[in-house]
Amino acid sequence: MAVASLPQQHAEHAEGGVDRLYEETRDLRLTGFLFFLFSDVVLFSAFIFAYLYLRNSGQSWPPPGIARLDVAFAAWNSVVLFGSGATMHYALENWKHGNFNKYAGFLIATIVLGIAFLGGQAYEYTHLYFVDKISWAGSGIFGASFFTLTGMHGFHVAVGVVYLTVLLLQSIHGVYTKDKYFGLTAGTLYWHFVDIIWVVLFSIFYLI
Amino acid sequence: MAVAATHVGGGIADHVHPEPQGFIRRYVFSIDHKIIGIQYLITGFIFLVLAGLLAEVIRTQLMNANGGFVSNNTYNEVYSIHGSAMVWLVVIPLMTGAFGNFVMPLQIGARDVAFPWLNMISFWMFPLAGLMLFSSFLMGAPVAGWTEYPPMSLQGEAGTSMWCAAIFLVGISSTLTGMNFMVTILKMRAPGMTLTRMPLFVWAQLATAPLSMVATTALAGALAALFMERQFGVPFFDPTKGGSPLLWQHMFWFYSHPAVYIMILPAFGMISEILPTFARKPIFGYKMIAFSSVTIALAGFMVWAHHMFTSGLAPFMQLPFMLLTFVIAVPTGVKIFSWITTLWGGKIHFTSAMLFAIGFVVLFALGGITGIFLASVPTDLHLHGTYFVVAHFHYVLVGGSLMGIFAGFYYWFPKISGRMMNETLGKWHFWLFVAGFNGTFLPMHWLGFEGMPRRVAVYDPQFQFWNRVESVSSYVMTIAILLFFVNILVSLRRGKKAGPNPWKARTLEWQIPSPPHYYNFKHVPTVYGLPYDFSEPLPYRGLDDELTDAPAPVPAGAH
Repeated sequence: MAVASLPQQHAEHAEGGVDRLYEETRDLRLTGFLFFLFSDVVLFSAFIFAYLYLRNSGQSWPPPGIARLDVAFAAWNSVVLFGSGATMHYALENWKHGNFNKYAGFLIATIVLGIAFLGGQAYEYTHLYFVDKISWAGSGIFGASFFTLTGMHGFHVAVGVVYLTVLLLQSIHGVYTKDKYFGLTAGTLYWHFVDIIWVVLFSIFYLI
Repeated sequence: MAVAATHVGGGIADHVHPEPQGFIRRYVFSIDHKIIGIQYLITGFIFLVLAGLLAEVIRTQLMNANGGFVSNNTYNEVYSIHGSAMVWLVVIPLMTGAFGNFVMPLQIGARDVAFPWLNMISFWMFPLAGLMLFSSFLMGAPVAGWTEYPPMSLQGEAGTSMWCAAIFLVGISSTLTGMNFMVTILKMRAPGMTLTRMPLFVWAQLATAPLSMVATTALAGALAALFMERQFGVPFFDPTKGGSPLLWQHMFWFYSHPAVYIMILPAFGMISEILPTFARKPIFGYKMIAFSSVTIALAGFMVWAHHMFTSGLAPFMQLPFMLLTFVIAVPTGVKIFSWITTLWGGKIHFTSAMLFAIGFVVLFALGGITGIFLASVPTDLHLHGTYFVVAHFHYVLVGGSLMGIFAGFYYWFPKISGRMMNETLGKWHFWLFVAGFNGTFLPMHWLGFEGMPRRVAVYDPQFQFWNRVESVSSYVMTIAILLFFVNILVSLRRGKKAGPNPWKARTLEWQIPSPPHYYNFKHVPTVYGLPYDFSEPLPYRGLDDELTDAPAPVPAGAH
């Protein structure tokens, strides 16, 4: 069907006549994005199940010869991540109210806190590796489950930091408006999702 | 996501964007759900031929009790890739990717799926994953069957890691398709099409999509763990390092049991469209059929350990899994009785599509009955790992899913191509296929009872007679499938013009020209009722222009 041959009187249909049915793409994208996050939850759940299964198949936890994790350090690092969840929330709220400067400030704070969390995790990993001699492949099921799950989470945080940076640059270049900002909503949802996953991981690795 | 940019201001609105003119954008990297559906069909059929040839290698090897056609190790590679390819590259992509993509948006009165670009990306992962899977033959294919249980899969050659990567990739494709379909069905139905006015094929896709989305992601976790263990030595499954081989079985079957419903629910949907159309009678128990699909999908998540009764599962775990598995027979039985009641007193037209649909009901029921034997712990302890299991899942996957695919293909071919299939060849295809199928898989029941183990390249000579019957029958089945492909090629060139609605069917896709235009509907219709009331006028408004010369909608950006 050649586009050029179409009669002009029907233009009103495409312009918003009776055939306009699906009002906004935002609705579709939001649903799709929530489904994406849900399937990501399932991916984490698979590994969390594996961890709990392996943990319960042994006699003691941590397994003999493995030092206890440093709960205090990880708790401070968690505070950093949860703080970034709060700043992200305020970033989006300020965008909705049109305060661009406050929005940018809170978003930059979120990115910085995210990087700080990753730095803390890097410190924890190196400490475990060099001082406690615990590694991914060489420390049995403890190393396998701890580094795989926290590593997956760290990867998600790293992706989030990149994603939020892209969002910051996009909003500076005027990609989003006060009414159309689905990317920012998605970024916020993703960041909260990463937070919530960390609540679970912190509980099952450090608290129980 | 990029799609929104192509029609500024309109959003998905009525989703008319200019049809791409170049060959590449139109037929290769197309974002049109109909083209993508056809791409899935062609690719799926190519993999069906390849995996079918592997099946014939298996059957030829088993002609003689002492084998001799291929080496024992090659035999192990062949059945592992045969199973993996049939499940992940043939049945699942054909059920969801091919028929789901082509038919579902038309049936709900949408112009496309929710995320057309994502749909294109999902498709292109699939042939790539197929190439990866078959390339594992070059580096030592996996030998532990399609289930790849450790520790054997940990010791397999490099091809086993390639297997992990290939299945991971096709799994992502399936997950993305599941999300896309969920959003499409939930958000893009034509006005008036409430959930309880949806055609049953759409209901089946709605029940399948969350399975693809959730279960496949869990499989991705299991595959990633196996890959990490094989490539980097990270211990999850190796018992010498504290891991647990049983963990793999849990993770694998948590996916793979729902996966059997991914492979059969869309077929249930197809049958529920075909039977009323050719019996000229409303479907019996519309809501029961729709809700039983959802029940099966939900219950499918709670029965995975019935595959593990001989794996050392604690006895207190065996009982609930056994009972829950029996419970799934209830919604399945509801469907079968509804289908039989639909046929009862109908004016039945025995077209090829109808023959395959009825064959589906019979053979799937037989496969379901043997499933009860395997679900009950005492008999499963005897039958596990024998040819009885092979008989059971080939009855549900070949007699069920593949027959469903054939039925659906005969039914929707006129819509896809605009031409009719040859009915004579179709009937030859059906009868040869059914004869060959039963000759191949029926004797496996008693061979299994007598203790013939599956997955072994040689066997006790006392089983040789029936194995020869099976092998010869399997060649008959191959000839039948060959006739099917001949029929497609002949009908594409010489088939009678189909017209918009050769079957006088009532769902939306039959009310528009065959093949449908790029934009599907000139005006998105309004729906007033169920599509199955054959005595009533069609429950749609706004379709008057579809078959006339009335102008098409103007693509956004063309004015």
